[in-house]
Amino acid sequence: MNLPRFEFLSPTTIKETLLLMSGYKEKLRVLAGGTEITGRLKHRLVTPTYILSLKRVHGLAGITQKKSEVVIGATTTLSEIADSQLIANLFSSVSEASRRAAAPAIRNVATVAGNVLQESRCLYYNQSELPRNGLGPCYKLAGETCHAVKGSKRCFSVYQGDLAPALIAVGAQARVQKTGSFRTVPVEDLFTGKGANPIGLARNELLTEIMLPIRKGRSASAYQKFTLRGSIEYPLASAAVFLWEGKGGMIEEVRIVLGTAGPGPKLAEDAAKAISGKRPQDVKAADVQQAASLAAKAMEAVDNLMLPSSYRRKLAAVMTKRALEEALRSLREVGHAS
Amino acid sequence: MQARRKQAARKQATKRISKQPAKRTVKQAVTKAVTIEKKRVALRINREDYELFIYPHRTLGEVLRDELHLTGTKQSCSEGACGTCTVLLDGAPVRSCLLLAVDVEGKEITTIEGLAENGKLHPIQEAFVEHYAIQCGFCTPGMILTAKAFLDTNPHPTEEEIRNAISGNICRCTGYSKIVEAIKAASERGR
Repeated sequence: MNLPRFEFLSPTTIKETLLLMSGYKEKLRVLAGGTEITGRLKHRLVTPTYILSLKRVHGLAGITQKKSEVVIGATTTLSEIADSQLIANLFSSVSEASRRAAAPAIRNVATVAGNVLQESRCLYYNQSELPRNGLGPCYKLAGETCHAVKGSKRCFSVYQGDLAPALIAVGAQARVQKTGSFRTVPVEDLFTGKGANPIGLARNELLTEIMLPIRKGRSASAYQKFTLRGSIEYPLASAAVFLWEGKGGMIEEVRIVLGTAGPGPKLAEDAAKAISGKRPQDVKAADVQQAASLAAKAMEAVDNLMLPSSYRRKLAAVMTKRALEEALRSLREVGHAS
Repeated sequence: MQARRKQAARKQATKRISKQPAKRTVKQAVTKAVTIEKKRVALRINREDYELFIYPHRTLGEVLRDELHLTGTKQSCSEGACGTCTVLLDGAPVRSCLLLAVDVEGKEITTIEGLAENGKLHPIQEAFVEHYAIQCGFCTPGMILTAKAFLDTNPHPTEEEIRNAISGNICRCTGYSKIVEAIKAASERGR
């Protein structure tokens, strides 16, 4: 498959990048690692006039530890995150998510920002041009129909990124820059929740950093993902869990995030209530089971991925259960020193 | 009558043409002026320097095969799923079908052609031959390069580590056992 023709831009500074982005807006797409957008370009799902590569932009890559947070630069590769002892010690969920994403050769190139800001997917949308054109344009291609749910008024594509659920679970913040200003938002706010346009960034905005807060006291996190084969797969169900123990030895904060659960990662707040306020050793199997089934209820599933929606809903419960069990185990045993 | 209608049509056509420039905004004019040109790219492949003039939409895999005729690098799915197009970029395995050739300037690229030295096969290549780790051979260049990069960083791996390292390379003859044996043998030879 060939790529469509485009003009290639390769700035070296963030300032220059932002100027180009605000100048060309809709005509430009940003390429960080390029492992996701190249496929979409080849399928003609996006045909920009300009491709801007971030590979030569200084000051966007690297993992640095600060007083109360760990900062991951936007173009840090997934391999770097997976190999980082710092991330493994403090944020097991993020470490595990980057270790399980795609395949080794893709992780060597794919970046954290690219993984977080990837487009939502659907079996009807993510296919090559010819069969797709036979179906006619769906909502995601500015059409007026959804092939997955006939007669629906909106797009049901699914966000299948690995990193975002893990990052949201640990309460990560994202720094978004545009010419002359920047804003810092929780990672969950980068998603609109709309399938046709799932990423809530303007065309002149660039995600430059992701900040992971280091929590005082004991905390633990875990990530679980289901795939049909061991590698090179998007998750068909995934769950990230974060537990934080307050001073009294109670679990005070619980964050359960589902991936592959709709047009963006889903924070299951109801499910968290089944666990919070208890000591780690007092959480029973029934509590975990209840949290898992509540989490699965929060997800949105239609038949537009490899497995039927009913089965994916069951898988989501299992993944939540496993992630919770893993996080509880590490909290009971040692607890993270963070 | 007909002549008059023709004249009217011609009049309208000239009207349309003369109106066009006024309607076009400056922005549209800028877009129209975009002509995509070939770019000069200096690539370093298998310890040799190449200077090429290529369109920016060409992937590294395409350039290697079509421009430089280094056809040892295979192309199969061309969307990053199979791993046959694996090359080494500064020593790390990457998918050449997902990288733009203009974007890898200044990096050291190694293809399967660059492994043998002075006509002598690389130890991993020899191990693949000795252990019958090649069936149809299509995944072999990618497998060997992935194995090389892996053994460079982890010279004495366990079988599980080997399987994990080649998890991104698909062999549709499913000859994984022989491939893992060959990599294991190559690692033991280096001991």
